[in-house]
Amino acid sequence: MEDFWYEFIEIIQTIGDGLLFGSTYALIGIGFTLIFGAMGKLNMSYAAAAIAGAYSGLAAFVLIDAPLFLVFLISSFASAVLGYLLYLCCFRFIPSSNHLAALMASVGGLFLIDELIVHATQGSPLTFPSIFEDSYFEIGPFGIRGDLLFVFLIGLVSTGILLYVLFRTRLGLATRAVAQQDVAARLCGIGVHKTNSMTFAIAGLLGGIAGAMTAAAVGVLSPVMTVPLTIKGLIVTVIGGLGSIPGAIIAGLFVGGFENVFLYVRGIDERDMYVVALLFIFLVFRPNGLFSKTITRD
Amino acid sequence: MLEIKSLSKHFGGVKALDMLNLSIHEGEIFGIIGPNGSGKSTLVNVVCGVFPPTKGDVVFSGKTVIGCPAHERLSSGIARTFQNIRLFPGLTVWQNLWVARNSIEDIKSESRVSRWLGKNSKVKKEIDEILEFSSLAERADELASSLAFGEQRRLELARATATKPRLLLLDEPAAGMNQDEIRDLDSRIRQLQKKGTTIILVEHVMELVMGVTDRIAVLNFGSKIAEGTPDDIQKNEAVQEAYLGYTEED
Repeated sequence: MEDFWYEFIEIIQTIGDGLLFGSTYALIGIGFTLIFGAMGKLNMSYAAAAIAGAYSGLAAFVLIDAPLFLVFLISSFASAVLGYLLYLCCFRFIPSSNHLAALMASVGGLFLIDELIVHATQGSPLTFPSIFEDSYFEIGPFGIRGDLLFVFLIGLVSTGILLYVLFRTRLGLATRAVAQQDVAARLCGIGVHKTNSMTFAIAGLLGGIAGAMTAAAVGVLSPVMTVPLTIKGLIVTVIGGLGSIPGAIIAGLFVGGFENVFLYVRGIDERDMYVVALLFIFLVFRPNGLFSKTITRD
Repeated sequence: MLEIKSLSKHFGGVKALDMLNLSIHEGEIFGIIGPNGSGKSTLVNVVCGVFPPTKGDVVFSGKTVIGCPAHERLSSGIARTFQNIRLFPGLTVWQNLWVARNSIEDIKSESRVSRWLGKNSKVKKEIDEILEFSSLAERADELASSLAFGEQRRLELARATATKPRLLLLDEPAAGMNQDEIRDLDSRIRQLQKKGTTIILVEHVMELVMGVTDRIAVLNFGSKIAEGTPDDIQKNEAVQEAYLGYTEED
């Protein structure tokens, strides 16, 4: 009985940690979903741009000893600029009906960024400044790690700001109008390319924050993080339902909690296997995700 | 006000528009009718910039609009509604109008930030007026997708008028409407004309076209086969032939 109780506390604790860390997945998922909503296309280089943004933040920390706040800001803006450049390279001039070309171009973008990072850092992981590493809050039998709590709060604030922009400002409404009905949007005077550029930049802002959050929670930044983060982001996007922002948020937290449980039960070697199996199960039984929403474009 | 000069649009081998010439005067309601597939919708799409013409020119207030992207034509004063309704389904009625109203030139002078945030009381007042005019005021905060069919049609018209067009193209606005709704639409179109909007009405519902328009052009196979007042058109033999396949004398 004693053992069972101990196990139970541990599992709950693990799920809690996972949920907190899942906020980074939620942000990455939101980014994928935003771009998919606006263009109906996946931007495979998105998570790579997020990690590259985090590297820029790290560079600022190493070179000018920037305070943490600035590190996050620089990560975010660098990733936004990169997102815009990737839009220009991989989407802007490719005919909108050619989905495969844009997809492959963005896969190319993913590997290009990955390689650039490998060459710039000689492929070795770098330490990322961790925050509130030592603080630990105890609530009854449970504990909350300070760094995870911080990451979660940043995720919460960023999501809040994003939702405000999307639902309350003209910019956000224009973005959503293009996603919902692009022909009518053009004939209402909304420039589709301008809106798409903005969407990529906004998604990039979120991505940079998510990249820096991941690095801050893990404590290191390494080029081998790009592909797994891309895959996690895609899994979150699919589970949340392509194009659904609330879906991406909940799926992000869910995947975070889920993978942490398997990390606890089966260890780091097998963790990702179960996450991919989760994707498989969703594709078979709920291919439209948790909260699928149909996006009509014709 | 709008000059259509030798306009042609070919889709592969199909000539949707073939050397079409039309001239629409300021302030009139101009009807365009014709059997299915005669090129009416293609004409609207070319004028609005959905696709470029194969040949020919469209001149609006003395300036050609060919080559100008669709979203910029709007700021020069051309707006339209769609035959198959194209609202922004996930935005509320109010937001549908707000997005359209905020896109036009005269508030571009404001700072970018205030435009993005959409803080403008003048715009809010104008939208409330349009809602009142379209009898949609009570439904302002509902999603466009939750409106009834007739209300969606009214919102389409309202959204087009929110951009303050000088030329408004209505692509079969009465399709699927009942008698009451058509009479209602008739009076709305007349009120818009009184406010100084020039209107091009593409329509199958003869009751509406014959009643409300000043002049009518009849298209068949992408060419104009007749032009004149509603009375002239009703008596025109070529028109009867195109529609019915025979003339009364046969």
